[in-house]
Amino acid sequence: MTNAPADSPPDGGSIDLTVHLGRLRLPNPILVASGTFGYAKEMVDFVDLHRLGGIVPKTITPRPRPGNVPWRTIETSAGLLNSIGLDNDGVEAFLRHQLPFLLGCAAPVIVSIAGADQREFVQIADRLEGVPGIAALELNISCPNVSHGVDLGTDPEACRSVVAGVRGVSRLPILAKLTPNVTSIADVARGARDGGADALTVINTCQGMAVDWRRRKPLLGNVVGGLSGPAIKPIALRCVHQVRRAVDTPIIGVGGIMTIDDVMEFLVTGASAVQVGTASFAEPRSSTRLLDALPAALAEAGVTRVADFVGTIRLPGAPQAPSSPQPH
Amino acid sequence: MSHRQTAANTYRLRVECPGIAAAAVAGQFAMLRIADRVDPLLGRPLAVYDTYRSAEDDAPQGEISERRFADFVYVVHGRFTTALKSLAPGERMTLWGPLGNGYREVPTTGHLLLVAGGIGQTALLTLGRDRAAAGEKVTFCWGASRGAAFGDIDDFRRAGLDVHLATLDGSSGKRGTVIDLLDSLFPRSGAAETDAPRHVACCGPDGMMAAVSRWSEGRGLGCHVSLEAPMACGIGICFTCVARVKDAEGGWDYKRTCIEGPVFAATSIDWS
Repeated sequence: MTNAPADSPPDGGSIDLTVHLGRLRLPNPILVASGTFGYAKEMVDFVDLHRLGGIVPKTITPRPRPGNVPWRTIETSAGLLNSIGLDNDGVEAFLRHQLPFLLGCAAPVIVSIAGADQREFVQIADRLEGVPGIAALELNISCPNVSHGVDLGTDPEACRSVVAGVRGVSRLPILAKLTPNVTSIADVARGARDGGADALTVINTCQGMAVDWRRRKPLLGNVVGGLSGPAIKPIALRCVHQVRRAVDTPIIGVGGIMTIDDVMEFLVTGASAVQVGTASFAEPRSSTRLLDALPAALAEAGVTRVADFVGTIRLPGAPQAPSSPQPH
Repeated sequence: MSHRQTAANTYRLRVECPGIAAAAVAGQFAMLRIADRVDPLLGRPLAVYDTYRSAEDDAPQGEISERRFADFVYVVHGRFTTALKSLAPGERMTLWGPLGNGYREVPTTGHLLLVAGGIGQTALLTLGRDRAAAGEKVTFCWGASRGAAFGDIDDFRRAGLDVHLATLDGSSGKRGTVIDLLDSLFPRSGAAETDAPRHVACCGPDGMMAAVSRWSEGRGLGCHVSLEAPMACGIGICFTCVARVKDAEGGWDYKRTCIEGPVFAATSIDWS
């Protein structure tokens, strides 16, 4: 029996954990995923926030949204099905009440934004332009729980248009968070690249559903939702693999990461960094626990820089592993 | 860690968790997870039922700050509680807490009425004991479907509470709902009602709490409820456990039961 002990001290060691995602430099490759870390202040008792490679707070929208009706999450086999519905107080409340604390954490803050259409994405990016301290924007073009008829993350041209629109008003590095709920994630990745994305976050949740047959009802208030957790790790790895083969844009891998082996699997497959998501629900200290374990795992892999391990997977028929993506 | 059955399908788990045991106040909870498992994946919120100095104590002793063990009482219902019940000796658990606001806002009025439904008694024992020890009269009404659901009733008697039971099938206590029990104990027409409760604290299923809330309001009594909502994290980061809470402007907003509750003024809850 353990009772959430205090965080371990930072690792020493001689492993260079620095990550370059295009123009965005991160101190290490362990980030926390949007929607799974609140606005960070909820986590002060559990995680030494300054140690994180990056914090992606819960997605904000131009105006407040109450979110979806309960039930909002259902645990499934090795997974979590959610339909929170972007419950948030809007960008102005975020700037007033959440961002000051986040910026005081001394970890890179990547603000996750969402809008109902391209115009709203541009509007919120424009509002954040010039706000000091923000490291990057992550465009949540892939939340499965807010449908407006047009899904900006499933059509390559719509994806390109959103990224390009944000690019036009923002000088910040832009991450596009991609959905796996498409026939070809490579095509959407190309759209994001063509729009000017600095990096791609791969993946958001997989659409799913849970039912209670005795009551003949869906379990989620919103009927369908997004699946996360270990159940989707193979899907996320497949997506990282396919995106890496389609574009040179750096990738942040996310989907079911619980253990240091999971982290290493994403890195070797081609992710330059990872986001820890549902694991923070299952064990609040997951992110820094993985960071503690990373140097030893990289040492076991025989590298002294994390970048030297990224994308070194040996594929059948490919005698030489491809090199890491270059900063651009 | 030790484990015993206390009622039908109901188990009582004692866990060494000094950080929780020495700090928990009445109405708080902890998250319990079976470590290193992905199925069940997440922790579950359980009320801190009581706290102890040693693994063997059968009654709380000493200062709260000396407590190292906490008891959690749960009904086997789904995949987590099924796994918890059959946990092998030596298996590790991860706990985090104490969490939530607890019953800090429940005023001292001279006569506190505690109302539990089902397994809701687990959130009320230490509140009742604290208030009884401070000299307040505490009446405890507990309703369940059948008598076999009641376990460790003596904990409440030893805590100094005036205990009354109700069951739907009449197998124990008064036949009927807990509201029927409340009506019989405290009839509206009761003359001077000098012995009537002045405030209510409640924990149980939503429908029962909504009924207790209406019952209290109908008698002009303040009421606090401890909401039970599914939670993924227990610490405010997942936004799963929301309840519709009314605001001062006549509207409402979803509040996180885990960190903005689980205890709310009953009149603030939109029970629809």
